[in-house]
Amino acid sequence: MNMAMQPAPAKSGAGTVTKPAPGSVIFDKVSVVFEQANLTAVSDFTLHVAPGEFVSIVGPSGCGKTTLLNFAAGLLPAGAGRGTMLVNGKPPSTGTHDLAYMLARDALAPWRTALGNAELGAEVRGVPAEKRRARALDLLDKVGLKGFENAYPKALSQGMRQRVALARTFSLDAPILLMDEPFGALDAQTKLQLEDVLLSLWQREQRTVLFITHDLSEAVSMSDRVIVMSARPGRIIADVPITLGRPRSVRALQKDHDYHELYSQVWTKLEEGLSQ
Amino acid sequence: MNDERMWGPAKIWAARLVFLAVFFFLWEKVADAKLIDPILIGKPTGIVQFLWQEVFVTQSLLKDFYWSMAGTVLAFLMGSVAGILVGMLFVTSPTTEAVFNPIFTALNAMPRIALAPLFIIWFGLGLGSKVAVGFSLTFFIVLTSTVAGGRGVNPDHITLARTLGASESQIFRKFVLPSAVPVIFNGLRLGLVFALLGVIGSEILASENGLGQTLSVLAASFKTNGVFAIIFLLSMIGVAISWGMTSLENRLLRWR
Repeated sequence: MNMAMQPAPAKSGAGTVTKPAPGSVIFDKVSVVFEQANLTAVSDFTLHVAPGEFVSIVGPSGCGKTTLLNFAAGLLPAGAGRGTMLVNGKPPSTGTHDLAYMLARDALAPWRTALGNAELGAEVRGVPAEKRRARALDLLDKVGLKGFENAYPKALSQGMRQRVALARTFSLDAPILLMDEPFGALDAQTKLQLEDVLLSLWQREQRTVLFITHDLSEAVSMSDRVIVMSARPGRIIADVPITLGRPRSVRALQKDHDYHELYSQVWTKLEEGLSQ
Repeated sequence: MNDERMWGPAKIWAARLVFLAVFFFLWEKVADAKLIDPILIGKPTGIVQFLWQEVFVTQSLLKDFYWSMAGTVLAFLMGSVAGILVGMLFVTSPTTEAVFNPIFTALNAMPRIALAPLFIIWFGLGLGSKVAVGFSLTFFIVLTSTVAGGRGVNPDHITLARTLGASESQIFRKFVLPSAVPVIFNGLRLGLVFALLGVIGSEILASENGLGQTLSVLAASFKTNGVFAIIFLLSMIGVAISWGMTSLENRLLRWR
């Protein structure tokens, strides 16, 4: 099996940047260089994420995973990101309504209730009060926080806080979701629960998700494709399609034979990459 | 806290009262026996008598109390409003801060009570000069805490705000300001205590009325009981101020 240099799936149009579909994310020969620190964080990274696709990027700490998301979100200092980067067909720009970014830490505002936090993103983006409230209430229900709408973050557990952050992210109309290790700080059980919550939210709307993690099982169980990156400067060492059916239950997959097969494949790639 | 050796609240209150009763009893006896001259230490029964007389019978202390409180409240309101406004200006405009910060630091380093004679020349012996001294203390305290609060915003909130496309004014209103409120509140609590200090200090130096003025008159005529009575009143005011600020804080900052 030669997956290492396999191009993106056929639906995203291999290699060409001619006509990006709405909701797509395209990295074409992207490098990120921080000149002040004399550091090449990412080199020659090419990845085409098709609309509605759930793609995870795994790799060792410091391989530039977060830097790639920051490039897409327009958070890099001017001139650091090189190559072609297209988000929803446009070059990255800070604060674009085309994407929603979920950070590793929940970043909840402690002075706002769960509902206030779930509404915050839509509020900043100017969604009318009634509409955003209805949406936030619905999402809090979907993430399993019915009855906690008026609780302040200090009264919520870490898992519940991350559920609020999920609601805040999904309450935005953005076609593309960037997620930077959103479940990294959670215990194993809570993590499985939240992965299922994320999948059920995603399943309803089929938005494009670019998911960063260092947890291989998380990547394999949720994604359509798993991208394996090398240590810094990060490059792609494998692009593995995850052929498990949909809809999935992450918890049910834990006992699934095909899942473990795929897991060990990706693991082998990761080990090969690290030993190169 | 569940240490079994720790007394319950009723017992603690009882012990506290017993301690105070013994303390005042001994004070009374020492003064009666002239072990220490009562001119130096006064006498608890004399202090109570003075308070009764001046608060309930002649009510002259009440008038002084109102004057001092009016000065304190005015100094506090003006000082904290100005402190918060200038502080916010500093937070939003680093250039302004760079220009004025050293000047303000130098002003703040001046011993404020030394300015009181100047304020008395400028504003007279009435409310004006006391308010000026109180203001000069409160302003800098609230200014410092406002700047610290504004700077203390969580960087994750700023990243989130930027990815959401928040404008500068939205970042300020929805993230910087609310996260600064608890720190500003600490400044306000301290600012109120210092407004009182400035007003009383200025009254002691020279004034037409107020608790500080009465205190210095009583001390100059060796009416020690009266001096202790006013010190007692002032400490009660201080306790009331911090209790009031704490309950206000608990109501406004329920999310903490």
